[in-house]
Amino acid sequence: MSNVPVDRAGASLDRAARLGERLERARAGDRDALDEVVRELNPLLWRVARAQGLALEEAADVVQTTWLELVRGLHTIRSSSALTAWLVTTTRRESWRVRGLTQRQTPHDAATLESSPDPDPGPAELLLSEERDRALWQHVARLPERCRALLRIVAHVDRPDYTVVAEALGMPRGSIGPTRGRCLAKLREMLAADSTWSPT
Amino acid sequence: MTAPHSADQPLDDLDQAILDQLAAVLTRLDPPPPDLDDRVRLVLALDDVDRDVARLREEHLVGAVRGTERTRTLTFDAESRTVMITIVDRPDGLVRIDGWLAPGAAVRVELRHPAPDPSQTVESDASGRFVLDGVPHGLAQVVVHPARGEHAPQVVTPALTL
Repeated sequence: MSNVPVDRAGASLDRAARLGERLERARAGDRDALDEVVRELNPLLWRVARAQGLALEEAADVVQTTWLELVRGLHTIRSSSALTAWLVTTTRRESWRVRGLTQRQTPHDAATLESSPDPDPGPAELLLSEERDRALWQHVARLPERCRALLRIVAHVDRPDYTVVAEALGMPRGSIGPTRGRCLAKLREMLAADSTWSPT
Repeated sequence: MTAPHSADQPLDDLDQAILDQLAAVLTRLDPPPPDLDDRVRLVLALDDVDRDVARLREEHLVGAVRGTERTRTLTFDAESRTVMITIVDRPDGLVRIDGWLAPGAAVRVELRHPAPDPSQTVESDASGRFVLDGVPHGLAQVVVHPARGEHAPQVVTPALTL
């Protein structure tokens, strides 16, 4: 493919700046700006809720509840990084609450079986039609669980927000941050050695 | 000299590309519901901030009854009330909702739909039972209003796909 963005790191910075600007407008009561923030960050919230072991419908509810809580506390959130961290923290707390409720009520419900955070390798092979995607997924599966948990969330975050997101996830500050970090370095090393994977 | 893939180096465009690819793969493997953005938009469109948010406690799929009817029961807990609804698919493509509030009270129960569709409103009886019939499929949200003269917040459920 030839139409690959040349400066991805720069594009990510632009995204973060845009998010900050929309947050500003949303705080002033602009509904469209709030909609745009929702569209931008829903994939992250979904991933965080699913990583807590929630079934599909539970995760969808948690995402909504988190946004409702946000609207109540919007005036206290001053930057796009603070927004992302706040949303990750609240999504996790809401997920725990829902999981506590469902486990108490239906301990052997099928929902708990469905909620394995990583899809098993069988369906992944079927769902990923491109060889480079399958290669990436296989290498991710070889990483330690802590790395998988981290990269799964970080992949949906604008890169300048790495550190705050790691903190919101309760991970040690040194494990990510402005530098590449061990998990991504390890993944990159494995991908570089794999001839079936290419960056584009 | 630093190794090319050292953990201490700043993120470069290749790291960015790997993480973007991973995000795309994760979305392919475990996509959010296609209407998730719309659900959030529906619940955020309620301006009143004095609300008691009900959270999903359990969902039962009773399955296809008599071939054409599918029945789902959902229970939501809020601080002030529990809202239980049974959603029955009618053979004509519409939906009937049988609801029950606990503690029971005669109050106004509103079913909100995305704009521009109007809300449907019914009154529950003194034991907290209510019926909303002939409801179209699609997104909806249940809002339970406080009784007249009662100083209590509205109870709102998340948006549901009927």
